[in-house]
Amino acid sequence: MENNGIALRKPVKILDGIPMLIICIVICIALYILGITKTFSNNTMRYLLKIFLYITMGEMWNLMSGFTGMTSLGQQVFVGIAGYSVAVFTSTFKMSMWLGLLVGAVIGVVFALLLSLILFRMRGMYFAVATWLIAEAVRLWFNSWRFVKQGAGMTIATSQIPKVRELYIYALTLCIIALVVVYILLRTKTGLGLTAMRDDADASSSVGVNIFKSKLLCYLICSLFIALAGGMFALQKGSVLPSSSFSIDWTVAMVFIVIIGGVGTMAGPILGGIVYVILSEFLAHFPGWSNIILGAIAILVIIFLPDGIIGTLQKKLNFEIFSQKRLSEPKKVKGLKEKANMA
Amino acid sequence: MGNILTFDHIDAGYGRVQILHDLSFSVEEGEVFGVIGPNGCGKTTMFNALIGLIVPNHGTITFNGHNITKMKPDARCHLGIGRTYQVPRPFEGMSVYENVLVAAVHGANHNEKTGRQVALDALKLTELYDKREIRAGELTLLDRKRLEIARALGTEPKLLLLDEVAAGLTEAEVQDVIKMVKNLKAAGYSIIWIEHVIQTMVEATDHLMCMSEGHELLIGEPRPVMDSKEVEEVYLGVEEEDEEDE
Repeated sequence: MENNGIALRKPVKILDGIPMLIICIVICIALYILGITKTFSNNTMRYLLKIFLYITMGEMWNLMSGFTGMTSLGQQVFVGIAGYSVAVFTSTFKMSMWLGLLVGAVIGVVFALLLSLILFRMRGMYFAVATWLIAEAVRLWFNSWRFVKQGAGMTIATSQIPKVRELYIYALTLCIIALVVVYILLRTKTGLGLTAMRDDADASSSVGVNIFKSKLLCYLICSLFIALAGGMFALQKGSVLPSSSFSIDWTVAMVFIVIIGGVGTMAGPILGGIVYVILSEFLAHFPGWSNIILGAIAILVIIFLPDGIIGTLQKKLNFEIFSQKRLSEPKKVKGLKEKANMA
Repeated sequence: MGNILTFDHIDAGYGRVQILHDLSFSVEEGEVFGVIGPNGCGKTTMFNALIGLIVPNHGTITFNGHNITKMKPDARCHLGIGRTYQVPRPFEGMSVYENVLVAAVHGANHNEKTGRQVALDALKLTELYDKREIRAGELTLLDRKRLEIARALGTEPKLLLLDEVAAGLTEAEVQDVIKMVKNLKAAGYSIIWIEHVIQTMVEATDHLMCMSEGHELLIGEPRPVMDSKEVEEVYLGVEEEDEEDE
């Protein structure tokens, strides 16, 4: 048969299972210990906590755009809402920053639920533009709202701002929870449908995937985690401004992270987040040029590595990391080496 | 055996453009029902009305005792109507097995454990079993068409709609498709098959309907329908020339 060449091809290697789990747990514990024991300098922790928060945001944006095809350009609205919530609760009401963070996340999710009524009637470009417009409208609203001191912005009560080390631990925890949520979600029945939607939404609906339900679930999870990450960013900065808290730069960063790492892969945004933070810290020495350079890098990646760094490596070397792949054989616990020998 | 599907005086179309005019036919349970007709006669529109992409203006569609005329597509999918796309649309990043598993889990409401067996059975019937771990994007055209069918089978349909599955295939591959359809029939599926390749229709169908301008022109045994004067007039004159070109 003419297909023998394909049939004999080695199946994809899956880097998953017990060994991978152990590696991940070791890395997480190491990060916790290094943070708690003050082995990291405050500066290192500041970088790392940024990386954790950007990974969280990238992973969530990837869930929305990479899997369900909802390319939102307005996710900064949740960053802003949570940031302002933290500021209002700590400065105006003199309450705990945790309450501010929690209320910010709840408002974010409720707002997302309301938006979904309008937004889910749109697809593709229309969806992207609508999300952006809504975010801009909210920014303008905050810009003229007296209660939040209009365009002057607000500061977060200094007594409530956690130390860098504490914030580092919170950010790391949020990042781990976000990754675990995405990992588990992709392994459920809904996740199987999401992977199908990533490849062809219409065909997936014709085999019975409920597109609306999947989209709504992703949108809500995404809004929740982006709000939490946004609130932590506000704590790190110590202040919120309509122009920066609701800036489209947040979404641009998420898009960059996902494109660099690889759309529709779970490992992509992790690498993307690391690359983005390192690049943007480095490029801070060249003010004015930084966005141009970041943009040029994104364009080059889109042209030469359309699947992103992780996506391209996976295809070239025929492996998948954190794969949600379902195997037709019932899963056995095997070492990494033996995984290659299935056939 | 009784009828699994009945079209009763259906008028349907897109917006104001009416494509189907007073179309009536019925499909017996367990048979292969072929549909031919020149381009633009409404074959694919008939499928769209059947799976629920368009709602008829007039008439009723009865499937397995249910009036499905105004039902939503996913509800019809769950009742047991499975379709294939004329141009295959596999989930390219997923393996062949996962493609079918999606259908079994979401279309037939299995969990992933019970869906596994359904998916493997569908792959065996369509002779894709040995290629189950390959990425669907790497399949050849014939295998993509097989995958379309396997995915439709994954939803555990009673009635299977095949939309030009033999188009664009070599003669040997067409034989493979005919063999596969015969296997499916033996496995108990009722099938409606739209096709331009005449050979498949004569060899594999139990009844054949020729459509013309949105209306059934002739329904009957395949040979007599093919040989009839009316069909020759609307259709075969053109088609035979096409065949020679190939």
